[in-house]
Amino acid sequence: MDRVKFLIPTFILFIIAISCVPAAAADIVADSAIAILPPNVSDVIVSDKPNDPGGTLVVEWILPDSAALAAMPIKGVNIYLSGNHDGPFELITSLPKSALHYECSDLQDGESYYFKVTATANGLESDGITSAAGIPSGQWFNTERLPILIVVILFSITAITFIIKARGGYDFYVRPIAGIKAVDEAIGRATEMGRPILYVPGLGSAADVATIAAFTILARVAKKVVEYNTRVIVPNYDPVVMAICQEVVKEAYASAGKPELYDPKDVYFITQDQFPYTAAVNGVMLREKPATNFYMGMFYAESLVLAETGFVSGSIQIAGTDQLVQIPFFVSVCDFVLMGEELYAASAYLSREPQQLGTLKAQDLGKVTVVILIIIGVILSTIGMSGFANWFNVG
Amino acid sequence: MRREVPLLIVFLFGLFMIVQYFIPHAKFAFWYQEFNNWTIIIGIFTMIVGIGSLLSVHYSKIRFRQEGWGYSLVTIVALFGMAIVGLLGGTEGDLFLKLYRFGLSPVTATMFSLLAFFIASAAYRAFRARNVISTLLLAAAVVVMLGRVPIGEILGGWLPRWLQLPNIADFLLNVPNVAAKRAIYIGVGLGVAAVSLKIILGIERTWLGGDGGKR
Amino acid sequence: MSTGQLIGNGIAAFLTLCIFSFLYKDNPFYKFAERLVAGVATGYFTMLLFWTNFIPKVWEPLYERHEIIYIIPTILGIIMWTRFSKKWAWVSRYSIAFYIGIGSGVAVTLALYTYLFKQLQATIAFPISMDVAGINQLLVVVAVLASLIYFFFSTPHKGAFGVASKLGIYVIMIGFGAGFGLTVMGRIALLVNRVIFLKGYLIALFGG
Repeated sequence: MDRVKFLIPTFILFIIAISCVPAAAADIVADSAIAILPPNVSDVIVSDKPNDPGGTLVVEWILPDSAALAAMPIKGVNIYLSGNHDGPFELITSLPKSALHYECSDLQDGESYYFKVTATANGLESDGITSAAGIPSGQWFNTERLPILIVVILFSITAITFIIKARGGYDFYVRPIAGIKAVDEAIGRATEMGRPILYVPGLGSAADVATIAAFTILARVAKKVVEYNTRVIVPNYDPVVMAICQEVVKEAYASAGKPELYDPKDVYFITQDQFPYTAAVNGVMLREKPATNFYMGMFYAESLVLAETGFVSGSIQIAGTDQLVQIPFFVSVCDFVLMGEELYAASAYLSREPQQLGTLKAQDLGKVTVVILIIIGVILSTIGMSGFANWFNVG
Repeated sequence: MRREVPLLIVFLFGLFMIVQYFIPHAKFAFWYQEFNNWTIIIGIFTMIVGIGSLLSVHYSKIRFRQEGWGYSLVTIVALFGMAIVGLLGGTEGDLFLKLYRFGLSPVTATMFSLLAFFIASAAYRAFRARNVISTLLLAAAVVVMLGRVPIGEILGGWLPRWLQLPNIADFLLNVPNVAAKRAIYIGVGLGVAAVSLKIILGIERTWLGGDGGKR
Repeated sequence: MSTGQLIGNGIAAFLTLCIFSFLYKDNPFYKFAERLVAGVATGYFTMLLFWTNFIPKVWEPLYERHEIIYIIPTILGIIMWTRFSKKWAWVSRYSIAFYIGIGSGVAVTLALYTYLFKQLQATIAFPISMDVAGINQLLVVVAVLASLIYFFFSTPHKGAFGVASKLGIYVIMIGFGAGFGLTVMGRIALLVNRVIFLKGYLIALFGG
């Protein structure tokens, strides 16, 4: 009986104790949750950003290991910056946990900077790891662009070599290009018909190489125009281009001993707006009825409008551009087209000067090199060696 | 002086721009930006030369009552009218924006839209295939045109999948179109580099006044 | 539409029809629109140049911030005005030389990077394999090589070289045809836009 009396209160106490354990444990867990911070990132390294003008440092870190993350997954990182190792640190950015590096720019070259990286989770932040000092500086050579430098040097050496060879009397063969051959014939046709020639130097600026190539062809056309006593009309989109075209045409007349025949109103500026310029040139074509139209340089959507209007007015049309999208339109409407590189080769073809032909040979050697590189590159890529292709992936 | 100094200027600045491409340091980046700014500034002042040329052409027509002198008057009035409005009210001024919106913009858009007529006319001319090359161009154009619209799917629906127009159109765009572009671009790259080097080295001097590069 | 908008859109519609009249033949309406827009465009762009380029790039640096270095491009720009003089026009060559020197220098490296390196890398980066993508890649490589051969200037296009060159021009023409076909629909859409504008204006004018 005494044992039973003892057991009952014991049993009741046991039941009460059991029901309190989860609460007590939860209290213990809750106390621990308040006390536990997210795990720190590790290996915080700061370095100067390579191949840049300066003022930028790159901070990198490693996330905590999987065991630590399993205990408390982190949500993101905070990056702090200071000029001293011991602070004070200023928060400069917060990043998601997927970020493993950060570029900090607008810093002063030569000054020391320290970064502290902390991990964040559930409104809590770790103590953070402070990096060693980083000193930003600008580089004097962009190593990523080394392949381009090599090509520039090799190409220049090749071109100069062929120029020297050409000056020594070496005769270079060049295959005929129909569009260039047609230039003289087209000018002759204009003379026979007693109609002027229209020369459109495109919508590029004087700094565009395609426009400079157009000047070369204009020089040739102007020279022939003077010889045949015909008129050349050059409406311009850009005032600087107009200035150069005026010099080119004026010089052609002066060289032939007929400077008084040069009329500056034939080489004039219209407007620097694409379609108003096109509308005006269309007007010239319809009213002056040129026998021959030259379109040389950079053209855009207006190429087809110009070429079609020229066709309607009965002109022979010779076009030359490096604008890939416009070449098909010129090809479908014009009588002759200089496609891409042919426009740049025109100066060599028209002048027939040895040093001009020498650079043409250098261009061809460049293409031979490209062909070889393509064959080698494709073979290497196919057998799994992609490093060769990556060498051409420059920044 | 008239030739040597300009050639020296071209050489020095051309060489600098080549070299700066490989030097990322802030000092070089600064001068790269500055020199590009300077070309814009030269362009600003040269606009006066362009306007001078425009006025010269039209004024002489008006003065000598040449054919179409009335239209030249329209050009000069429009030019000065727009310039005065812009000068007084700025480019955000209400009248200036309205003149652009109702005067310039519709003409630009309409000229652009003329391409629809001209492209049809060009296609028709190309369709009268003169030779093998024209035939190839026209055939490829037709296939791609039809392959990009619903009727193309209907027309060849009975053919095996790989012979259907949309798939052939995709093939033409992904293979010969891409190959042609790459080859032309490679040639253009070499051509531009060659001409630029010739200009910098003073071999190409037509821009100076048409002497054709003779030494 | 308000009265002001009706008038403005009326002018726009009139100019639109003037330009469309060009499709028939040259006529006074087209001439008027062409000359009007040449003047308006030149005035517009001159003012844009003045306010967005001259003021921030020349006036403010020189007059407000006293950055003396900007005297150099200003002088180079003013030198271009010697074009108005027959005797002194040659002086403008100095400014033109600077302009062309900068452009040419930038062009060398940019052309090699954009047109040579990028295209070369794109061509050789993908392996050839026996699936559709791999066979396409093989065809692209062959087509690129043939097209490059077409652009050889210093070798006669005869024999095997001539055959490759012929294949090259065929590839180029097919490529151009594909590009032509791709652009057609886009151009038609431009016309549709203008027709919709004219229709909208007529409805506003007569339909209220």
